[in-house]
Amino acid sequence: MSELLVEMTGISKSFPGVLALEDARFDLLPGEVHALVGENGAGKSTLMKILAGIYKRDAGSIRIKGRDEEVPSPHAAQSLGISIIHQELNLMYHLTVAQNIFIGREPRRGFLLDERALNAKAQQLFEELHLNLDPRTRVGSLAVAQQQMVEIAKALSYNSAVLIMDEPTAALTDTEIEELFRIIRHLRDQGKGIVHISHRLEELKQISDRITVMRDGRYVATVSTAEAEIQQIISMMVGRTVFEATPELPEKRDPTVVLEVKGLNRGRQVQDISFQLHRGEILGIAGLVGAGRTEVMRAIFAADRPESGEITINGKPAAIRSPSDAVRHGIAYLSEDRKRYGLALGMDVEVNTVLASLRRFANSFGWIRTGATRKTALEHVQALAIKTPGIAQRVKNLSGGNQQKVVLAKWLTADTDVLIFDEPTRGIDVGAKSEIYRLLNDLAKQGKSIIMISSELPEVLRMSHRILVMCEGRITGELSAAEATQERIMTLATQRESVAAA
Amino acid sequence: MQTTTLPARSRVQSILRGDSIQRLLALGALLLLLAFFSAVVPHFASTNNYIDILTATAVNGVLATGVTFVIITGGIDLSVGTGMTFTSVVMGIVAVNLGLPLPLGLLAALAAGALVGSINGALIAKAKLPPFIATLGMLYVTLGMAQVISDVHPIYFDQQPAFQGFFMSKPIVGIPNIVWVMLGGAAIAWILLNKTILGRYTFALGSNEEATRLSGVNVDRWKIIIYAVDGLFIGLAGIVIASRMNSAQPGLGMGYELDAIAAAVIGGTSLSGGEGSVVGTIIGAFLISTLRIGLSVAGIPDQWKSVITGLVVIGAVWLDILRRRSRA
Amino acid sequence: MKLTRITSLAAGSMTLALVVGACSGSATTAPAASTAPASAAAPASSAAGAASAYTPPTDAGKAKGKTIAIISKGEQHQFWQAVKKGALDEAAKLGVTATYQGPATESEVDKQLTMLQTALSNSPAAVCFAALDSKAAGALLQQAKDANIPVIGFDSGVDSTIPVTTVATDNTAAAAVAADHMASLIGNAGTVGVIVHDQTSQTGITRRDGFLAQMAAKYPNIKVLPPQYGAGDAVKSADIAKAMMTANPDLKGFFGANEGSIKGVLNALKETGNEGKIVAIGYDSGQQQIDAITSGVEAGAITQNPIGIGSKCVDAAVDAINGKALPEKIDTGFSWFDKTNINNPEIQAVLYK
Repeated sequence: MSELLVEMTGISKSFPGVLALEDARFDLLPGEVHALVGENGAGKSTLMKILAGIYKRDAGSIRIKGRDEEVPSPHAAQSLGISIIHQELNLMYHLTVAQNIFIGREPRRGFLLDERALNAKAQQLFEELHLNLDPRTRVGSLAVAQQQMVEIAKALSYNSAVLIMDEPTAALTDTEIEELFRIIRHLRDQGKGIVHISHRLEELKQISDRITVMRDGRYVATVSTAEAEIQQIISMMVGRTVFEATPELPEKRDPTVVLEVKGLNRGRQVQDISFQLHRGEILGIAGLVGAGRTEVMRAIFAADRPESGEITINGKPAAIRSPSDAVRHGIAYLSEDRKRYGLALGMDVEVNTVLASLRRFANSFGWIRTGATRKTALEHVQALAIKTPGIAQRVKNLSGGNQQKVVLAKWLTADTDVLIFDEPTRGIDVGAKSEIYRLLNDLAKQGKSIIMISSELPEVLRMSHRILVMCEGRITGELSAAEATQERIMTLATQRESVAAA
Repeated sequence: MQTTTLPARSRVQSILRGDSIQRLLALGALLLLLAFFSAVVPHFASTNNYIDILTATAVNGVLATGVTFVIITGGIDLSVGTGMTFTSVVMGIVAVNLGLPLPLGLLAALAAGALVGSINGALIAKAKLPPFIATLGMLYVTLGMAQVISDVHPIYFDQQPAFQGFFMSKPIVGIPNIVWVMLGGAAIAWILLNKTILGRYTFALGSNEEATRLSGVNVDRWKIIIYAVDGLFIGLAGIVIASRMNSAQPGLGMGYELDAIAAAVIGGTSLSGGEGSVVGTIIGAFLISTLRIGLSVAGIPDQWKSVITGLVVIGAVWLDILRRRSRA
Repeated sequence: MKLTRITSLAAGSMTLALVVGACSGSATTAPAASTAPASAAAPASSAAGAASAYTPPTDAGKAKGKTIAIISKGEQHQFWQAVKKGALDEAAKLGVTATYQGPATESEVDKQLTMLQTALSNSPAAVCFAALDSKAAGALLQQAKDANIPVIGFDSGVDSTIPVTTVATDNTAAAAVAADHMASLIGNAGTVGVIVHDQTSQTGITRRDGFLAQMAAKYPNIKVLPPQYGAGDAVKSADIAKAMMTANPDLKGFFGANEGSIKGVLNALKETGNEGKIVAIGYDSGQQQIDAITSGVEAGAITQNPIGIGSKCVDAAVDAINGKALPEKIDTGFSWFDKTNINNPEIQAVLYK
C-alpha cells in the first residue's frame, strides 16, 4: 500500500461574494488516474488551483508525499512536482511553441540563450508524445486545438509526479483524445498521479480509476470507477435524479426560409458555403475541430468580413458589413470562447445582460433607465437559473457555465431571431446542460431559428432537426434527424476534397 | 503520426514572418525619405549633412532603445527625458563639482539612470501603479531633482577636456563617437533582447503577463530589472547629450520622451506589448531626424516640421495596423 | 490595394506640405515696422544713464516689510539667476521682502500664468512681471489693477497699458547694434542666419525684429535667412544651425538672440569645424559665451544688465508702493562686448556666469 501522493483536508476558500470551497478534501495515490467531477461552481477547478499554487487556501492542510507543505506560488508547486494543464489557455501568443513550453527553463550557452537546443528539446518532447507540431511556430497563429496540445505538452514536460488536467479534451478531436489517453495511461504506469477534471463522464469511465464527486464547494464522495454507474455519479453531482428524457423535438417545421446563405467565401476555411435556415428549426453543424464551422458563422456575423457571398434574411438581401449590422438584422452569435468574445469580465451581470441592446434601454439623451435594465437582468437570472449572488456580481467571479448563461441572456435581451450557438454547452455540467437543451427547444418553439455548432455528437443528434457536416472549409453533407447516425456524421466529417479510397 | 526531424521552412516564409516586414517597411520609408530629400532639397545630399543627421540621432537613438524594452512589456516610460537630464547632472556633480575622475562620473550617470529605472520598476511591479502614472510621477521628480542638486546651474566640463574630446571626436570615418556609442548600445540591447533570458521574459511579459506568472516566472522581479535596463540607457543618453553641449543643463529634457516613444513605435514596437525590435527602433529614430533635418534644410518653418512629424508617426502606426489586419 | 492608396496619400500630403511650407517660408514675414530709435553707426554701448532719467529710492518708506512678488520668464539660464540676485540684494538693502519664481522653460506660458495667479492671491504689495506671452496675461493683470496692486514689467515687460513702468533693456536698439557689428565683420555683404528663442515673448519679437529691421534699412547687400526658432534649447538650436549651414554653404554669420540660442550656434560651429570661419554674435553672457569671446570663436555679444534689471524693478516697485510717479520705461542699458573690452570693470559688472 503506497503512501498518498497528495492529501488535501479541510480546505476552505472564498472570493469576494462567493464561498468557493468549504471543508473540501481530496487525495491522490501514485499510479492512478483520479477523476474529479461536479457541476459548474462545485469547486473542482478552485481546489486544484490551490494545489497548483495559483490560489492561497483560507484554511486546511496539504500533504505532499506525507509531508505538510505550503504551496504559495506556481513556482513552488513546480518544485514540489505538481504541474497543471489549465482549462483556459495560458499561453504567450507572441512567442513560439518551444519558447512557451520551456519558459523559465530555457537552455543556455553560458550567458546567452541556446535557441537551437530549445527547439531540439521541444522536438524531442513532441516525438515522445507523437505530436505533429513545429516548435518554431508562433503560438498565436495556431488553431485552438493545437494550442491546447501545446499546453498539454508543456505540463508534461515538467515530468512531475502529480499532473492535474482541467478539461483537457474540450478542444480535441477523437484521435487526439485517444493519443492523450495513451499518454495518460503511460504516465500512470510510471507511477505518476493524475487528476482529471472533466464533464465527459463517458470518457472518465474509460480512463479513470477512481472518481471523486464535489457539489457546491463540498466533498460528496469517492467511488471506484469500475463499480460506479454514470447515473449514480450524476445524481451525486446534482443531488437529485436527472433522467435523460427522450428528446422531444419540436414538431414539423415551418417551411419559411429565415436565413439563406449563398456562395460564402473566406480564405481556405470558408469555401463556397450555401445553406438555408427555416423558422423554428434547430440546424446542427457538425464536423471535426478545424473544419471551419466557427469561421463560417463569424463570416455570416461579419466578425470577419467574407470575401464574397450573399446573405438573404426573410427573403430580402441583407448587407452585413459588421456585427452591428448583423444584430440589427436580428442575428446573434454566441462564441466558443465566451471569456474573450462574449463578456465584459470586469462588469456585472446586469450590464452584460443588456450590453447588446443598450439603445432600447436608453432614452433620447442617452440616459440609461436602470429600473428597466435591472428588471430584465433579474428576469433572465431567474429564467436561466444563473447561479449568482446578485446582478451586481462581476461576471468574472462566476463559474464557466453561469458565464455562458449570461451570454445567452444578453442575446435573448437583444431580441434576436436567428441565434448562432457555437459550442453552447462546452464546459457546462450535466444539470445545466439539460436546462440549456430545454431552453433551445423552447426558443425554437417560439419561432426563433437556431444554428448550433457542436463537437459532441450525442448532443448534435439529440437536438437538431437537420445536420450540416463540414470538413476543411466545405459542407460535405446534409442529414435529417431521421437518417443521422454518429457513423454517418463521422464519415462526412472526414471526407476531404479529393476522396481517395476506393 | 510519427514525426522525424525539424521540417525545413522556406526562406521566403521566414522573411514574411510579420515582424521583419515592419522593420523592412520602416527601412524602406527611411531610404525613400533620404532619396526624396536628396533629390528635391538643395545641399541635402552631402557627406556633412548625413553626418549631421547621424549626430542628431545619437541622443534619441539611445533613449528610444531603452524605452523599447519597456514598451515591449506592455508598459511605458514617460520619465526618460527628464531622467536623462538628471543623470547628466549627477555626472556633472561627480566629475566636476566633486572633482572625481571622469570614468567615475560616467559610472555615476549610468548608476543614476539604473536607480531611476529601478524606482519606476518597483512602483509598477510592487506598488502596482500603472506604468503611465508611475513614470509620469518620476518625470516630475527627476525634473525637480536635477534642478535641486545643480542649484539650477549648468555644470560645465571644461576641467575635463577628455570628456567632449572623446565623445565628440571623429576618428572613424569622420563620424562623431557618440554615434558609435549609440550603435554600440543598440548592439548590446539587441543581444539582451534576442539572446538572453531578460529578452525572452520581456516578450513573454508583454505577450501574456498572467501566463508568464503562472509558468513560475517571478514577474515582479523581472519587471524591475527590465525598467532598470531602460534606466541604464537613460544614463547613457545623459552622457551623450552632456558631451554634445560639454555641460549638464538642468533646464532641458522634458519633451525628449515623446521622440523616443515615437521612434520605437515607428520602428514596429507595439504599444500593446509583445512586439518590438531594436533595429526597428533605431530606424525609427533615424527617420525622425532625417525628416526634421530635411525639412530644416529645405527651409520649412518650425510649425510645419511638427505637423509633418506627427503625421508620419500616425501614418507609420496606421500602416502597421493595416498590414496586420490583412495578414489575419 | 488599400496599402498603395494610403502610401500615395501620405506621399501626396507630404509633398503638399513641403510645397506650402516652401512658399510660406520664402515670403519672410516682414517684421513689424519697428520704431527703432535710430542707432548711430556702431555705438560701442549705450550708457546706462542715456534713456532713463530715473533715480532709484534710498528708503523703502511705506513699502518697508512688505512683499513684492517677482515672476520671471524662467530659471533655465543664468541670466535669470543674475536678475534674481540683483532683485533680492536690492530688496534686502531696502528692507522689503521679495519672492522670485519662474517656470522651468520659457515655453511654459500656462505655468507662468498659474504662478502669477497664486502670487496675486497672496495680496502682495506689488508685482514684477516678465511676460512669456503678454496677451495671455491680460485678465490677470486686470485683476491686479482692480486690486490696486501695482504691476511693474521687466525684461520682456508686458504689452499692455496696465504696468506702471517697464524695467528693461531696449532690445530693439540692442539688436540693431548687433546687426551693425555683424555687418562690419562680414564686409557689409553676404548671408546671415538668425536663431531666436521664441516668437511670443517681447524679447524674442523685439530682438528679432530689431536685427532684421536694421539689416533691411542699412545693409541692402546682406541677405538674412528666415529666422529659425530653437526654444532656447542648446541642442535643438545646434541642429538647426547645422541644417542652415548645410542649406547655405556660403553662410557668413549667425546671430543668436538669447543665451541658449547662441550656445547652440557655438556647439554647431564646433561640431562642424567651422569655428572662426563663421561670425557668431550672441546675446547675454554665461560661461560658455565668455570663454568663446575670450578665445575669439565668438565675435562678441550684447550684454544686458541683468543685475540692474533685478534691482531696478524692486526699486520701481518700492516707488510705486509709495505712490511716486514713474517714467514709462526704465532703460537698464546694454553693452556690446568682445575680446577687446571684456575685462573692463564696467563690463565685468554686468556679466554673469
